[in-house]
Amino acid sequence: MVKVTLDNVSKFFGKVKAVIDLNLKIGDGEFVALLGPSGCGKTTTLLMVAGIYKPTKGRILFDDRDVTRLPPRDRNVGMVFQSYALYPHMTVFDNIAFPLRLKKVPRNEIDRKVRQVAKLLRIEELLSRKPSQLSGGQQQRVALGRALVKEPDVLLLDEPLSNLDAKLRVIMRAELKKLQKELKVTTIYVTHDQVEAMSMADKIAVMNAGRLQQYAEPSELYNKPANLFVAGFIGSPPMNFVEGSVREVNGGYYFDSEHFKLKLPSEIGELVSSRTSEVIMGFRPENAKIIKEELPNTIQGKVYVVEPLGKDVIVNVKIGEILVKILARPGAEIAPGQSIWLQLNMNKIHFFEKHTGKAII
Amino acid sequence: MGVKDRLFPVGGTALILNILKYIVVIIVAVVPLIPIWTMILWLAVQSFSGKVILGIIPSDFTFNNWRFLWSPMKMGLKEYPNIWPITLNTLFLALGVTGLVVFISTLGGYALSRMEFKGRVGLMQFIIALHAFPSIILLIALFVILNHLGLYGKGIMTLVGIILIKAGLEIPMATWIIKGFFDAIPWDLEWAALVDGCTRWKAWRTVILPLVLPGIGAISIFSFLSGWSEFLLVFTYVKDEAYYTLPVLIYYMIGEYKFIDWGMLAALGLFYAIPTIIFFSTSQKLLLRIYVGGIKR
Amino acid sequence: MVLKISRKVLPWIFLAPMLIMIVFSWIAPVLLTVYLGFTDLSSKNFLDFVRNFFTEKVHFTLENFDKIFFAKDPYIVEALTITAIYVLSVLSINSIFALVLSIAIAYFIRNEVLSMILRVSWLIPRIMPGIIYALVWNWFIDPKYGMLNTLLKIVGVPEAWLPESWLLTPPYSQLLMIMVNGYVGASFGMIIYTAAIKSIPTDIINAALVDGASDFQVARHIIIPLLKWPMLFVISWQTLSLLSSYEYILMIWGSGGGGGYAGIARAAKVMVWSLYSYSKAFAAEEHLYGYASALSLILVITGVVLIVLYFKLFGFRRLMEPSRIEV
Repeated sequence: MVKVTLDNVSKFFGKVKAVIDLNLKIGDGEFVALLGPSGCGKTTTLLMVAGIYKPTKGRILFDDRDVTRLPPRDRNVGMVFQSYALYPHMTVFDNIAFPLRLKKVPRNEIDRKVRQVAKLLRIEELLSRKPSQLSGGQQQRVALGRALVKEPDVLLLDEPLSNLDAKLRVIMRAELKKLQKELKVTTIYVTHDQVEAMSMADKIAVMNAGRLQQYAEPSELYNKPANLFVAGFIGSPPMNFVEGSVREVNGGYYFDSEHFKLKLPSEIGELVSSRTSEVIMGFRPENAKIIKEELPNTIQGKVYVVEPLGKDVIVNVKIGEILVKILARPGAEIAPGQSIWLQLNMNKIHFFEKHTGKAII
Repeated sequence: MGVKDRLFPVGGTALILNILKYIVVIIVAVVPLIPIWTMILWLAVQSFSGKVILGIIPSDFTFNNWRFLWSPMKMGLKEYPNIWPITLNTLFLALGVTGLVVFISTLGGYALSRMEFKGRVGLMQFIIALHAFPSIILLIALFVILNHLGLYGKGIMTLVGIILIKAGLEIPMATWIIKGFFDAIPWDLEWAALVDGCTRWKAWRTVILPLVLPGIGAISIFSFLSGWSEFLLVFTYVKDEAYYTLPVLIYYMIGEYKFIDWGMLAALGLFYAIPTIIFFSTSQKLLLRIYVGGIKR
Repeated sequence: MVLKISRKVLPWIFLAPMLIMIVFSWIAPVLLTVYLGFTDLSSKNFLDFVRNFFTEKVHFTLENFDKIFFAKDPYIVEALTITAIYVLSVLSINSIFALVLSIAIAYFIRNEVLSMILRVSWLIPRIMPGIIYALVWNWFIDPKYGMLNTLLKIVGVPEAWLPESWLLTPPYSQLLMIMVNGYVGASFGMIIYTAAIKSIPTDIINAALVDGASDFQVARHIIIPLLKWPMLFVISWQTLSLLSSYEYILMIWGSGGGGGYAGIARAAKVMVWSLYSYSKAFAAEEHLYGYASALSLILVITGVVLIVLYFKLFGFRRLMEPSRIEV
């Protein structure tokens, strides 16, 4: 178990800049998720930690040791690939035993360790089978076993659940998290699914277009997103955004968008307007209430579509040309075409600079 | 677990293994190539030089070796036939084979790819089997057949006979390659043409043919080079000097033990290799695909 | 006036030219070889044979096979031995050395440009017109003017070990025979093996590297086991190919010798079975076509048997895609 530090790491493939100036500190035993859309550089980062790619710039450290120049075999890293990459010509036993065989571990020791890992992952009965005879979930556990059997310092997982069906995925999420807590191995987990990242990781590094957007615990990412990208990426259904400006009028602060004007609490108004006037306001679907009659400082809109989800109802409301999603409780009688008003929770409002996307509040 | 418990190699073994790896590559892949590179370098250098030192260093630059282009060739006591008719013969052979092969295998390949008939699978297997069958052991029987058809010893007609034989030998592979190109064209295109009112013939000409043009190009080049390089058939069946092809001519000239003129021979060789060089440098991707796809020998 | 050709007949119109050519160049010769093997056709009765296929001047005889199987022909044993040496040696180059070569070029070397240069270089012997290959080799082995002896001396081979004539002195001539065909044959294996290596998913190689394998260990534990079938294919295909190949031997020894290729090949002990058959028909004084056909027939039968075996062993699919990786 080691600390993993990425120090100003960049990776360029010719003209393509896959990872740019990445700085990350992962603590001993932590479970960190690299989250982002495809092409954001998360898998490239993982492969650099594994040693398969060499960073174009920067260093990678395990504890205080600079491993940047070390090949994969000298790093004591375990990795589970998205395709599992099981050796098709070897049995499950040989697949898991492979790392130990390479280290010339004595035969009976190999046997013991492999069976130990197989027991942990509940794949003992599969040891004599070949990968082609296994289901997706079984293959994934074998891949995990192979990564864990050498007692790695760092465990790397590249979208390990993406090839599983939805139900199995939910089960495996919990299993993986429990396993990691038991083994206490430093883990880096790559995924594009924010629900996965939020539910499993201690900390999440959100990446986009090769750059780190924000590195924090899930709750902080959710409640205090650092920029527009993180705010819109985390949370389902996603945050609503409205463009507009914040101005002071007669001692009071107002948010003025094309279709409505909202009075802001003075602290918020002061803070925002001191930075800039052109802003984007954001609020989460659960932080707005739908009311049937007009009250002061509410936004008028028309119900567009109602999506009942069982325990929640997502109401799509049109404000002028903008469509926002509001979370409502079932039972409230809301029908498409209805005129309603939205009351926003002023404590949970976000403002972002229009031109940079950076968060103000 | 952890760094403290493990002995991290200082990247030392990694370096050693890397060096070892490159040593293996050099010994296995590069060193054996030295003779080959030397031979090619010599060919290029010698053809433009009088004397060559240490095999690859030219001592002077001259066009004298290329005199066979405008004057008769003499080596020792023998005078050899003029280069141009021989070149023409070679061209005749190459083009004849190309024409026949392209025409016949395009028709056959199309039928194998798109048409329904009894024994289709069997025929495909038979054609693959022909790939593996070594044709050069049939030269004796072919000699008899050639005689029977009255094509032996009849000057240009012998060459015609050889064209027929060579084309026949190349057709299975060419058909298979072209069939591959036809297979790659989606059925819908043909159906659309038929629905639009074409007969099968017209559909073939206007829709399919343009799309297999690369394939036809490939087997044309391949057949041409094959005919151009053909040695054994001409060597075995053509006894009249006037109807030699370039490979046979070169063969006899190499044999001039005491009077061998390496300079002229090299120039001759380079001259002969020109089409091969041209075709390979302009269409290597396509041809490499063919070589990888349809291997004989 | 529209000629409506029946749908059933149309395919055969397309196929007819191809079928005719196949009969002409393949089937008829094979059948004829079978027939002639049992005759005493030679230059003596040849003209009569051409005029009349069933002339009584040509006799049915088993004498040819007598010569072959009961060694009535004193050279048969030597031809067999030389062929065995030739096939086994070149086969090892084509299948085993080519494997090592392919791993070196397609795996050890990561740089695409370098890999391509080496691949093309190794293909040169195969792509070159045969007679040019013969020409440059004849120059290369020339004791005065060529580079072979010089290069060998540079790497430390003592002068006493180098022959006066590489062409004529066995076992040097046999070594040369193996080398010359080996260069051409190695590229066959290289093509098949490199395609197979490139089709191994990169993830599997990366997984092995992360598991702790060096490049050598990846080659040993991952690449070679996965290349089982391509290797079997190369061995099978090349066996038949080598048994019947003689073109390069004829071109090099024939042209280099200046005289008759037959005499020289015999003296140099490079007269393989297929060349022997060829020489008995076209070089021998009496042009023993019958006997030569019998010799050829042995190869024809071997060829047919092997091909049937290949189909049974590999199946249609694997024969078409020899580089496909599967377990």
